[in-house]
This record gives sequence, structure tokens and C-alpha cells, in this order.
Amino acid sequence: MTENFSRRQFLKLTGAGALAGATQLSLGDVALAAKNRPLPARVPIVVIVTLYGGNDGLNTVVPYLDSIYYSSRPSMSVAQNAVLPLGDGLGLNGSMGAFASLWNAGQLAIVRGVSYPNPSLSHFTSMAIWQSGSPAVPLSSGWIGRWLDTQAHDPMLAISLSSVLPPLMAGVRQSGSVLPVSGLTLPTGASESSYRQLATTLANDGPLQRAATLALLDLLSISAATSGAMSRPVPPPVNPTLVNVTSSSLSTQLDVVAKLISANAPTRVWEVSLGGFDTHADEVSQQSALVGEVATSVARFLSQINGTPHANDVTVMVYSEFGRRVAANASLGTDHGTSAPVFLAGNLKAGGFYGDQPSLSQLVQNNLMVTTDFRDIYGAVLEDLLGTPVAKILPNWSTKLPLFKPYPVAPISAKPPKRRGHG
Amino acid sequence: MLFEGLSSSQALILTVPATDSGVVTLSAPVLNDLGPPPASGSSQYAAYASAVATQNKQLMYWWLDRMVLSQNPLPERMTWFWHGHWATSLGKVRYALPTYQQNQTFRRYALANFSDMANAMVLDGALLLWLDANLNVKKAPNENLAREFMELFTLGVGNFTESDVRAVAKGFTGYRVVPSSGVVSLSPLLHESSTIQFLGTTGSFDATSIATYIVSLAACEAFIAARLWFRFFDSANPQPDTSIANAFATRDTAGAVNAMVHHPALADPRHAQAKSPVEWFVGACRALGLQPSRLSGRDFILNALGNLAQVPFYPPNVGGWPDGQGWLNTASAQYRLALTHFVVAQGSLAPVESLSPRARPDGLAMWLGVDVWSWRTLQVLEAVQDDPVTLTTLALNAPEYVVNA
Repeated sequence: MTENFSRRQFLKLTGAGALAGATQLSLGDVALAAKNRPLPARVPIVVIVTLYGGNDGLNTVVPYLDSIYYSSRPSMSVAQNAVLPLGDGLGLNGSMGAFASLWNAGQLAIVRGVSYPNPSLSHFTSMAIWQSGSPAVPLSSGWIGRWLDTQAHDPMLAISLSSVLPPLMAGVRQSGSVLPVSGLTLPTGASESSYRQLATTLANDGPLQRAATLALLDLLSISAATSGAMSRPVPPPVNPTLVNVTSSSLSTQLDVVAKLISANAPTRVWEVSLGGFDTHADEVSQQSALVGEVATSVARFLSQINGTPHANDVTVMVYSEFGRRVAANASLGTDHGTSAPVFLAGNLKAGGFYGDQPSLSQLVQNNLMVTTDFRDIYGAVLEDLLGTPVAKILPNWSTKLPLFKPYPVAPISAKPPKRRGHG
Repeated sequence: MLFEGLSSSQALILTVPATDSGVVTLSAPVLNDLGPPPASGSSQYAAYASAVATQNKQLMYWWLDRMVLSQNPLPERMTWFWHGHWATSLGKVRYALPTYQQNQTFRRYALANFSDMANAMVLDGALLLWLDANLNVKKAPNENLAREFMELFTLGVGNFTESDVRAVAKGFTGYRVVPSSGVVSLSPLLHESSTIQFLGTTGSFDATSIATYIVSLAACEAFIAARLWFRFFDSANPQPDTSIANAFATRDTAGAVNAMVHHPALADPRHAQAKSPVEWFVGACRALGLQPSRLSGRDFILNALGNLAQVPFYPPNVGGWPDGQGWLNTASAQYRLALTHFVVAQGSLAPVESLSPRARPDGLAMWLGVDVWSWRTLQVLEAVQDDPVTLTTLALNAPEYVVNA
């Protein structure tokens, strides 16, 4: 034991070795592959777009009739003649023409002044709060992860197009899967049955070893389930003006989502992301290009879906960890701020504005007030799109915005999770 | 080889010779000041951009080689820790030279006094470029460095106010950095020298006097101890006691590491960490006797580490690398398999081949630094023990190797 003790110490400190561990839940059988249980039409699908860095809400949905906006950021505002008017004295950044079209078609909702009580100006704290869905109590699980915990184990239920699992998809019992844009393929070499056996979870695996086995097992099932769909062409946008748009990081991710939705993947929640919004300096051109990319990519994606059986099923939600300071800094940028608009596009009860626009004359420590709690948006997504009572997922929260036509019951994964071993 | 160290006592782990015998033959990267970039349309631009890219790549292979070849893994491991702590990305810094200088600072202070380190870091060219110090002037301070210095480098969230951020940003004003060389200077005209008030003190400050003061605050002890705990022990559960923080009271990093080595939690498998992609790769190369820069088709490595979201010198943001569970997902499982095939194909399997097939699974555990295989993994490995390539490939992807418990 002494030998193991010092060896283990050495290994931990020098980054080398391991040992098996504590008692944990064991997994049930892997769910069937996508092709065996296609997602029926009319089941809501949620696509979450995370903007990392803190998007400047005021240069996205611009209060272009408010003189304080222009006096606060003399050299880095969006000119009146460059905005796309929405009403209420607000207009979209001129690069977001694709969102203006959705707005006019009643397919875009803009929730204004969104944050949470006592907003944090830290990227990490604020993003952790948004992704955990819990401003008051720090939780290591994510809001989608806790929804996954209410479902039977299924690696297809929630998928992120990234290299690292975003915290919002980390559950206590199961987590979402990660699918890179190039798709997943199993390398040849060691036989699949060896890998499958290596992916067996043992009752005494610690949580991380259990996660390692699940990742391998999910790779085996998800690569089999998606490989056919990944090789298909991307569904063409129905709207001809969105056919020839320059491909971007976000549109490349959404192309993969469109392919898999059109192949009826049994996935209810997707997550894609875009970074670069932390515009402390030289903001105007960068930020316009980024929000333009968001608007064009999302509109194009919805138009792709419009040609599939899931035309009316998809809702896209776009959020960032915070907005930015009302006044510019000396580097033609903005420092970290508080509330900002959240966009919802696609399958809505009605487009338009939700929540109040924060006043530019009533600031809290130079920052915008919070008029809408993001949990009211999550509540609508959870109850009306994912069919799960909000109180089961968000601590001490029960309200929601009337954004969606309620979807009646949890449609799939009615089977309770199987458990093996003891917990 | 690593396994020679496995029987080391605690004292031996902490004994760090002046020179690392494993890296004496490894030459430092050749990095010269490339000067300001030519105009982007000009004829010299392509050559300049290619020189920048060549230096950056040289730097990445140099560090991977160094991590693999080191005979004293602890200082190198701590250098890696500080790289994730003062997380600075070459993506924004752009130039290898200031980034290499920063890496040498991490190595110099890897186990030294943290206050000295913080003093060096607030004048570190790469860090200042990364956090917009060039834009931080008396007329209108930029808060980026001030906020991250307190939140992520020294005190932790909740131990300072927004008013402290504004005041410290003023004290940090006026430092200029030459991007291509990382040379830092103070421009008195751009520096706010009037009195500022923050964190219970008032006075005229510059970058180093701010660093010295903030690092002396009690919150720094607990914060750095928590970061060490988070990276070395457990990123999901908090530390059970204050022993690491107590040992850090003098800001002596070696003292804190000594407390970690003697911490009972080190022997407790409930506190586990997933190997990050670079740790995993370096461990595999050490076991297989491979030097990354000398591998055939070596760019596969950087692509694979990119897919795994951990390329040295390119942390995703100022918060550093993600924690354990983030590395355990379907995509990383796939890329780890692909990278395994790449290294096993070129590696020396002699230590496995020299054993009788029946002895190989246990020998592999020793060789790879795994305490013991689970029965699950043992069954898989025993079924392929006649085939050293398949055996090693599977072992490198076993939960017991992917996770340090």
C-alpha cells in the first residue's frame, strides 16, 4: 500500500497514471440507433446558439432614436441610416438583413433586457450561470443536462457541435454528446467488440471513468447512427436569397445540424457556438460581421429545414453571457456589461418584442438594468418545447414567457432509465 | 523512463536538480524579432506571415518535445499548470518570441515565490498583449487586465468589486508592448500616477506594486490553493481542508506543492482527473519512446490536438483549459483513438514485446503508469495479449489510463 500510495502521488503530480474508484450509477443499455427510431414530424426541436465573449446588445438591436446611445459611444455607434427598423425606436444592425426578413415574417422574437439578478461581469461566472440555469446556487450540471437526466439514456437526445462538452449539456446521470462538424468515424484497428467491451461501465467506476466509458460507448452508437446522414448533401435552403451565402464557422455547424434533422435524427436539443464577441477594442466592424454571420447562418438554416418534414418543428435560441457597457472605452470598444437581447427564431407562437427595453437614462453602475430573467425563456423552452415542468429543472423557478404554443406531453423516451449495479 | 520514478519517495518527487538531464540535448527554439509586419498587400507580406507561422510551429514542437523528454516531470508539470493559469493565447499574441519568453518565466517561477511570479507577469509582454494593455491609457482605462488579474490570476471572483476593477485598471495604465519582441516599457504620460483606492489601500501605484499588494491579500492563499486542487486533484469537488493554502502562506509555490504531495486526498481515488489531451499524448510518447518533433507526418499531431481542443500555447480563453469531464466526450474518444493509431505505429513496443504474452497486461499497467486495470479492461487486454499493437492501442484508451484516479 505504501508503494501504491507514493506511486499514485507521483503519478497525479507528474501527469501519468490511474486507479479505479468509487461506487456510481451504472448505465442502461444504449438506446437504439437513429435510423431505427426516427424523430416524428411535429416534435419540437431546439437549437441553441451560444455566442462566447459577451455580445454587445446595443449594437445588435440598436436604440437608434435615443440620443443617449449616440452620445455614449460617439465613434462606435451604428448610424441611424444603417439600422433596419423594427419599431419601438429599435433597429437591427445593418448586417442582420436576414433577421429583418424573419422579423417581417413573424418568425423572430426578440426578448429585451435579458440577464439575471445582480449580473456578474465575469465571462466565466456569467456563462456558468447561463449554462447551469442557476444564478443563486452554483450548480455543476447544466439546464439541458438536468433535462437529459429526466430522460432514458440516449446519446442522440442532445448533441453539441464542438470539441468539448459545453457545461449546459452536462447532466448528473447522463450528458449530451459531442459531434464534430466532420462527423464521427471509428478508426479501424482494434476490433469494435474490444472497444465495446472496454466501454462497459462497472459499478465501482468513479464518475470520470464512467464518463470515459460512456463517451466510448456513445461514440460507437452515434457514429453508426449518423454516418449515413453525414454523407448526404446538405438540404438546400427554400429561400433562394439564402442559397449562395458565404460559408462561415456557424453555418458549417448548422449545415451538419440541418443534415441530421432532415435525416430524422432523434435529437431534441442541438448546440452550436460562435466566439469572438469580447470586443474590448475596435468593435464596430468585428461585431457587425459577427452578428451578420449569426443572422445569415440562422436564417439560412431555418430555410433549409423548411424543405424537410420538420419545417415547423425547429426553434433557434441565440444568447451570450452578457451584453456590454453602454459607454465606449478609449479603444473604440466596450467593456463587460449586463443585460442584452435574446433571439428566438422559427417555431413561435408570435414574433415580436418580449420584455422591456432597458432605459439608457436609468443605468445601474453605468450598466443596463435587467428587465427579463433568462429563466423565463428557459421555462418556455423546457415546458412548451421539451415537455418537462420547469420546476423540475430550474431551482426555485416556475414562470415562463408565452413564446411558444405548448407542446402537450413528453413524446419520446417514455421508458424509465434502466439501472444496473447499485448507486 | 517514467517507470523508474514510480518507486520514488515523496522527497524524491520534490528533489529538482538544477539541470534536467533529459533535455540537455534539446536545443531552444531559434526565434528572432521579426519586427512590425509589412503592409498586408505588399510583396514581403507572404514571407513575413510564413516566418511567423514557422516560428510558432517550432515553439509548439519544442515544448511538446520538452514535456516528453524531461527527466524531472514536476517542474515541467508545474510549467504546464502556470500556462493554464496565466492562460495566454498565441492566437492573439501572434508572435512566438514573447510567448517563448513567457514560457521561460513560467518555468523559472514554476516552484518559486508566487509574488515574484506575479511581479514578472504584470510586465510580461505576451500577457499584456493578450489583455489589451497597449490600449489601457490614462485618458480612458481598459479594464481587461485589471479584471482578469484579480478574478483569474490572484484573488478569485467575489473577492473584489467593480470599483476595484476600475481603480486597478488605472494603476495598470501606460505600459506599452512591442508585439514582435514582447519588450515592455512604461510611458509616464499615459500612466495614471495619481492616488487610487482599491481593496483597502490608497496610494499611487504601478503594475508591480499593485501585484505585490494584491498577492499579499489573504484571498490569494485560498484562491491559488483552490486552483492547484482543481487541476491536480479534483475539478468537481472542493478541497476538504486548508492545508495547501496554509502551506502557501509565504507565497512559496514549492511549499504548496509539498503540501499537495503529503495530502491524504492524493491517495483517495474518489478524487479523480481526466487526463487532458496534452497530458495523455505526452504520457503516450514517453511510454513509446517517441519525440514528437521527429515523428513522420508530425503535423498530424497538431491537427489531432486541435481536434481535441488543446494545442499548447492556444488556450481557448483567459480562463484556461476546460476541466476533466469536458475532455470525456464522443468526439475526444474518437480523436484519441486516431492519435493512438498514429503514435503506436511509430512507437517502440519493445517493453511489451519482451514480456511473455501472459505478463503483458500487467506489464503495460506498469509501463503506462496505471495503478491497476479493472477486470473489464483486463478481460479486453488478455483477449489480445498476443498482439502488442492492438494491446497497446486498447490500453491507451482504457478508462484507467484516460482518467487519473
